[in-house]
Amino acid sequence: MKIIDWFLDRFRLKNFHRGIFERDIPEGISYFYCLGGIAFSAFLFCFISGLFLSFHYIPSESEAYRSILRIHEEVSLGKVMRGIHKWSANVLIISIVLHSIRVFVTKSYRPPRELNWIVGVMIFILVMFEGFTGYLLPWDQKAYWATVVGTNIAGSIPVIGEAILLIIRGGYDVTGITLMRFYSFHVIWFPLLIIILLWAHFHIIKKLGISKPL
Amino acid sequence: MKKKFYPDYLIEVLFFTVLTFELIIILTFLFPPLIGREIDFTASYQPRPEWYFLWLFWLVRFFSGDMMFIGGVLIPTIFIAFFMMIPWIEKKLGRKITIILAAVIFIILAYSTLIELLDK
Repeated sequence: MKIIDWFLDRFRLKNFHRGIFERDIPEGISYFYCLGGIAFSAFLFCFISGLFLSFHYIPSESEAYRSILRIHEEVSLGKVMRGIHKWSANVLIISIVLHSIRVFVTKSYRPPRELNWIVGVMIFILVMFEGFTGYLLPWDQKAYWATVVGTNIAGSIPVIGEAILLIIRGGYDVTGITLMRFYSFHVIWFPLLIIILLWAHFHIIKKLGISKPL
Repeated sequence: MKKKFYPDYLIEVLFFTVLTFELIIILTFLFPPLIGREIDFTASYQPRPEWYFLWLFWLVRFFSGDMMFIGGVLIPTIFIAFFMMIPWIEKKLGRKITIILAAVIFIILAYSTLIELLDK
């Protein structure tokens, strides 16, 4: 315990943990209030399994497909890690949807929490983008053509469509450059943005407290 | 008795964290991940997205060619804008109309996902 106290003191966090742990919880909240916690758990499982997958995955045109085969056949627990990554992504999306229904039903989006509602919607959009960019990474038939179709939609926007298409594809066609770009979006850009937004999401909850049930 | 985050609420949340992990592990072993075929650049192939993009897939098919952005970008943007603005829409139009509008969009999304899921 002494060492923990030492760290807390050096980080000047002595009172920080109090803000989280000694917070009052309003009476009469139901188990539906755990959906946000479930979503965050699913995010963490996705994040951790993704860290392990990134040890073995190679985002290149010639190696990507083979590295997925290697993850399945040679890497110990590789297939399990990939399964956890895939299924926690599915659980994450479902739990975010259910969580937002809960917030809508209990009217928790009302002022002063309207900003937190917006942050939540932004996190959901980013999670959907994570799903889209992650789909290409196995670099198989399905992934390739889904990305061609998906990015074509962005390319059909009038005036700015072509510029957006060039940014996300890194050229006019879906190539190894697109794969690199999607990998970067999937493992750096979007997770970073999601973590910043999650910090905002939790910070607002910490400051305003859990909304009182009806 | 007043509930505190620690230990009363934290234990409930952690219980659901463990349950979520168990669910994910069970799903992983029941439905292990698959690897698709290698890319065939020569033949165009009609891919199906993951289930959470099926509503978009359904919307896009109403428009073709240059109009694709209406189903693929414009309508989803309107949906997102609606959901983001719910706190203000409710203030302007009242709770009842907000519920109806949200329910209509939700039913469109759920219904289109369902048809696409059943239409293999």
